[in-house]
Amino acid sequence: MRLEETLLFAGLAVILRLFVVGRVRLWGLLAVSTLALYWFQPLNLVRYLDFWLPTFTLFLISVSWFLITPPNRRNEKINLFTALFLVVTMVLIAATRYIGVQGLITASRPPPILPVVLAITVVGGGYFILCRQKRLPTWSSSIAIFFLLVLFVVIKYPLLADYIGNWLRLASGQTAKAGTHIDIRWLGFSYIAFRLIHTLRDHQNGRMAEVNFREYIIYVIFFPSLAAGPIERVERFLKGLRNPENSVPTDFAIGGKRIAVGLFKKFVIADSLSLFALNSTNVTQVKSVEWSWVMVYAYALLIYFDFSGYTDIAIGLGRLMGINLPENFNKPYVKSNLTQFWNNWHITLTQWFRAYFFNPLTRKLSRSAAFSSPVSIILITQVATMILIGLWHGISVSFVIWGLWHGLGLFLNNRWSEWTRPYMKNLESQPWFFNLAGLAGIFLTFNYVALGWVWFVLPDPDVAFGFLMHLLGIG
Amino acid sequence: MTEEIFQALSQYIAKDILKQPNRKISHDEPLLSSGLIDSFHLVDLAIFVEDEFGVRIDDSELNSSTFDSLDQLVSLISDRKR
Repeated sequence: MRLEETLLFAGLAVILRLFVVGRVRLWGLLAVSTLALYWFQPLNLVRYLDFWLPTFTLFLISVSWFLITPPNRRNEKINLFTALFLVVTMVLIAATRYIGVQGLITASRPPPILPVVLAITVVGGGYFILCRQKRLPTWSSSIAIFFLLVLFVVIKYPLLADYIGNWLRLASGQTAKAGTHIDIRWLGFSYIAFRLIHTLRDHQNGRMAEVNFREYIIYVIFFPSLAAGPIERVERFLKGLRNPENSVPTDFAIGGKRIAVGLFKKFVIADSLSLFALNSTNVTQVKSVEWSWVMVYAYALLIYFDFSGYTDIAIGLGRLMGINLPENFNKPYVKSNLTQFWNNWHITLTQWFRAYFFNPLTRKLSRSAAFSSPVSIILITQVATMILIGLWHGISVSFVIWGLWHGLGLFLNNRWSEWTRPYMKNLESQPWFFNLAGLAGIFLTFNYVALGWVWFVLPDPDVAFGFLMHLLGIG
Repeated sequence: MTEEIFQALSQYIAKDILKQPNRKISHDEPLLSSGLIDSFHLVDLAIFVEDEFGVRIDDSELNSSTFDSLDQLVSLISDRKR
């Protein structure tokens, strides 16, 4: 989100809170969120993809909602109106093609209106017929989750993304740009997919709150958290959506302050740090070991200020509209061990992985007779979870190593805590010792995390390894 | 009844998780947000609750917003046993 876009959407949020109230409030939120879905979708090298990807996002959301909703609730009036609202919005956005040469809402000119109407009629008609069906088998949600994961792999794996990108270029009448990297940029897909999987899994476990179509779409594409989270849980989101907790002056004061803090973090601090933070260009230029450390620390601070600044803006925008989004960061760099760091860094993502991967896997292995040793369970679950978190950022060797770095770090941290626990008990009466150990822990944790960022920021693992050796004065 | 649940949980946490059998855990002591119980032991605790009291705490509920203190865990178990 650029500076002027943040201000524009903050203005829209204020208008919504003040003037779009009562029965039209949720329609207003739906309209602005749908608009933002198309507005923020970046341009792709494939023609019309900046229109079709947000449209496909809405389709995926519709299918997920269909799967989690009991058949007798699907055809309620509010849900039919929402479907109609979506269709009209899509057609109107496509119609902006005829207003100007450039895209008015989308990044480029939308496709001609005829194929859009045709696609909506076919898909919408099929969807409408499906809605009249009785209950679907329980495995249909599993298929949907599998499909979302496959899409995830396609988008995040550069080779597959290239292949699909070329194929899409051919399909849209362009020449396939063989050999040219075609990055399929799909706004917020990582976050959208995780929200959908969360609701599908909770539905399978019988824990999904009842939600109508309009509320569900707003939940998945709520514009403040659309592009980069937080990944809120649906039941928590619905509470604020249905009944804003605080008064308008309170929300405006707190929301406004959060946005100002976020803008400062992102556009002043992070942008300044980016001038000398480690990246794949300056890594080959710097020779001094001291400057190399400065660049690593600068990157560690840059990624924190950039991401937490973005989260501040998202939380602030949500607050302007009376919705409390969850926190994503809680002073992660001043935690005394790696476990505490991960409890306080990108909190909603780690909670997601805990709920849907780590906890079920740990429970399964603990119950399994084949795994009698808790230590091996800790190693397997910790490393597997962190590698998956790495892959969530992109499917590459570098992200796997970054995940492994943290997985092993967490395992060692766990073993150390277990080993020192009895000794710590005897030292409880010595506060100076605790303070000293805490400071040493913060120093070690920050440096371990900072060195881990080298794998994260440099796409070539050989270069990253060479740079780490250089930092340590080897080679 | 709730006192029995409290005692059973408190003993399990002190003996099997913290490895300090004589450690007293107060009713409102934060267990998760303070880092006293880490994510592995939290799953162990959920398995203990399931085996001992027949109450399932779902994987997505294992966080401090569901329960943080023993009192909160005891009332969650009592509610679900009804």
